[in-house]
Amino acid sequence: MILALLPALPLHTAGKYVAGAYIVLLLLVLAYCASLAARVAAMERDVTELAADTDEDDA
Amino acid sequence: MGSTPTVGKSARLQGVATIALMALSLALVFFYAPLEAEQGFLQKIFYVHVPLAIISLVAFVLAGLLAVQYLRTRDAVWDMRAWVMIDLALAFAVAALVCGSIWAKGSWGHWWVWNEPTLVSFLIVILFYAVYRPLRAAVEDRERQAAYASVYAIVGAVFVPLNFLAVRFSSAYLHPRVLGASSQLPGPMALTFLVCLAADALLFATMFRYEMSLRRLRAMVRALRRRREAARAAAALTEQRRSAA
Repeated sequence: MILALLPALPLHTAGKYVAGAYIVLLLLVLAYCASLAARVAAMERDVTELAADTDEDDA
Repeated sequence: MGSTPTVGKSARLQGVATIALMALSLALVFFYAPLEAEQGFLQKIFYVHVPLAIISLVAFVLAGLLAVQYLRTRDAVWDMRAWVMIDLALAFAVAALVCGSIWAKGSWGHWWVWNEPTLVSFLIVILFYAVYRPLRAAVEDRERQAAYASVYAIVGAVFVPLNFLAVRFSSAYLHPRVLGASSQLPGPMALTFLVCLAADALLFATMFRYEMSLRRLRAMVRALRRRREAARAAAALTEQRRSAA
């Protein structure tokens, strides 16, 4: 009911809020990708270390 | 722990499909869906805020079902699925809350309204699940940790729909109702909303899939390291016995 009484915000006013909301979604995806990349890099180091140790044991 | 983890061709296809559907949903939001009569351009936030909130709440309930499956089978993979589901759902819920807060500022002139049941109940859900990780960290024994976390996830899965219904039956609210008899979305808006919901659901599913693969891989690397250390210790002991003899 209160919403019905509110006038529509003009584009130049509403634009920053809409951009802000969609940036939140973008940040969510980017943050996840960054976290995934960091963890994949850490695991790559672990696997490399493990492979080097295995080679050492074999030798 | 479950099957061999691979991020294979189907996962890559799923990733591409997610990007395509997200792009389509954005195109529909900004080039197809008409401007709403009351809120104008500001109402575009609806297409990002509501799907995020719906998916997070559904995922919390699904996590409870996964936790039930863990308690039934005691297979650690179900616990890991519930854990990943709750982690991702919490991220989606926080994003929904922030988007909602931005919308509230544009629409009502306030970032937050404490006497609005929908907002406060959603915050309570987020706070409830924010405790899930510290709860896990507080229990060292892996099996007990999984059991306690599962019970917590099940309690949450019961709490979320009850909380939703309690707010739904509340009379004093500012929040517009999107789903149900009171919804009056015109066709293009409803279609855009459904595509956005599907895009966000696919995004969630893709993130879940990649996260599960990564955690399984990490578990395998840890298991390999433990085996190698055990083999080294056994070899050292044999050598020690041989030299003593």
